[in-house]
Amino acid sequence: MTKKRDPLEVIGCAKGYSHEELIKNIHRHSRYSPEIERQIITIPEAILRNSGTQMAKKINKMMREVFTEAYRAKQFTRTEINNRGVLFGIVSLKHNVLDLVLVYFHERWPQCVICLYNEQTRETWIIDEKGAIRQFHQPLKKVVENISRDRRIVPYFEDIQFSGEEIFETLYKSQFIAERENKQYFKKMIPDCCFELPGMKNGVEKRFRNKKINEFL
Amino acid sequence: MPSTLEKIRILGENSKYDICASTASSRTEKYPGLFGDPKKTIGNTVSAGICHSYTPDGRCMSLFKTLYTNKCIYNCKYCFSHSCKHKVSFTPEEYARTFMKLYSMNVVEGVFISSAICGSADQTTEEMLEAIRLLRFKYNFGGYIHFKCLPGVSQSLLKDAISMSDRISINSEASTKEFLSEIAEQKDFYNDIITRQRWLKQIRIKHNEEALKAMNDLKADNKLEEQEKMIKERRSDGYKKFRWDGAPILNCGQTTQFVVGAAEEETDLDLLKRIDWGYRKIDLRRAYFSSFIPIKGTPLGSKQAAPLEREHRLYQSDWLMRIYHFKLKDLEGVVTEEGNLPKGDPKIHLAKEYFKHHKRVNPNEASYQELLRVPGIGPISAKRIINLRTQKFVFKRRQDLRAVGVVLKRADPYILIDGHSQTTLHHFSNEDYMETQIKEFYC
Repeated sequence: MTKKRDPLEVIGCAKGYSHEELIKNIHRHSRYSPEIERQIITIPEAILRNSGTQMAKKINKMMREVFTEAYRAKQFTRTEINNRGVLFGIVSLKHNVLDLVLVYFHERWPQCVICLYNEQTRETWIIDEKGAIRQFHQPLKKVVENISRDRRIVPYFEDIQFSGEEIFETLYKSQFIAERENKQYFKKMIPDCCFELPGMKNGVEKRFRNKKINEFL
Repeated sequence: MPSTLEKIRILGENSKYDICASTASSRTEKYPGLFGDPKKTIGNTVSAGICHSYTPDGRCMSLFKTLYTNKCIYNCKYCFSHSCKHKVSFTPEEYARTFMKLYSMNVVEGVFISSAICGSADQTTEEMLEAIRLLRFKYNFGGYIHFKCLPGVSQSLLKDAISMSDRISINSEASTKEFLSEIAEQKDFYNDIITRQRWLKQIRIKHNEEALKAMNDLKADNKLEEQEKMIKERRSDGYKKFRWDGAPILNCGQTTQFVVGAAEEETDLDLLKRIDWGYRKIDLRRAYFSSFIPIKGTPLGSKQAAPLEREHRLYQSDWLMRIYHFKLKDLEGVVTEEGNLPKGDPKIHLAKEYFKHHKRVNPNEASYQELLRVPGIGPISAKRIINLRTQKFVFKRRQDLRAVGVVLKRADPYILIDGHSQTTLHHFSNEDYMETQIKEFYC
């Protein structure tokens, strides 16, 4: 038997959020207040999903900000791995979404310990092989050292202990088709704000553009 | 001996005209153990679609996309390898290690492995497979792999490639034998390409049917029937009913790529006919189009580049056939005398043609297919409209349609709400309409 659908349910990428999703995640926003949570409960779900009122619109905007930040962190966090299977990187998150980013990396590297340092809160969060999350008020380097001390060397992580930055830069440059250059589209895909993220501050994408102008001059 | 960096520079540049977009795969969600215990494998394709970088042309760069080698026995007139003086090859270990390094940096999401043909198709494919094997079984990589099948490869190697990849593709390059021989005279269109595409479909269906029967968990949940239905069921026009059928192997299906504008007289209609055949006969998941760009030093180096707009129109038309379920016959009605798509959005041309003989659409009565005919209404908004109607919702205002995602500036000329239509600029150029309006005003 097919499940009966809410008539106002929006399908696809703009499907909006259910009451449950909103209540579960709204606290992640940096401007969260209990009043907003009370409002969510009073507004009907159909109105929330379709941004039917100003309040509903505001709530949806807050949720979008939260998930966009998490998505950007998944996209543009640049990580390193050591020979003992500790993957680490730096993020800069305004909202409380570090656990979502950690889970993303944990699914990709289930046998590794993931350490992410949040520049905004100056905390290092880790997720271990079992999926347990812990937080430390210590710099990233120290946490990585402490964790690595008790772990043995893994041969296939040992194999990839070389600098990859130049490799990525070469690959990135090689893929560019000058005839198709489209600055507007590029800006849409990597908005300026993304170049403020720790992984992108000195990123290949930015360097590549700058170099081109310098060469021209 | 060239360094790895030098190889990436040369082979990356040689592969830049190959197109790939998706990294989506439903494999891991349904069949987590396909490449061993998921807790021990690296990589994931569940939350795929994340792009980690974009080139200055705005294209997503989410895959490690290079050729395996650029030493080639063929002399295709449009091809980069033809003019490249530096001939290099990766070794399987070098390829796998380099990719794993990039993956650990979170700059790529998966692999796109393609190659020129060094020695023979089988010899090169063997080496490419060795690199993939190392990734899958030495480095335990369980993420996305797109394998580019070489023309003329043997069936046994194709089976191996299918069993280890998420997506496989064979470049058709041209729509017919004549056009292919014009740009790549050494390739045999039917034997090297079409036959291989048919094999891919056969191997996949046979393997998936066997694999499904062996899956006890599906039997227990009574999901087997549903899965088989998804693999076999077809629409009335012969296209697959379900795009993602959750098949155990090669669940991203096969794709193909065309070089648009390289063959002198090849038209858009020829290309559309070929992809329509592909959707019906070989379960093509999608087609990619790459506008021809002349490369210095190749026999076609002095030929004019094909306009990027042409590529864009072909993608739009492909979308209409694949997602909107428009028929090839419909598109044939709007192409120009030369057989090319006219300037402007093909859906608007189709709507102009269709609404010459049909009344405007009333969203409170129209069927799903009729709604899809209206520019500004896509499958999602059409579904929302039908969904709301089943709950006795009546569309009385244009804003109601806007709320469900209809783009009114496009849809206005073709829709009727509460018996009225929105006046558009088009009406003011219509003399009969203006006369009746003036008469009404003075009366």
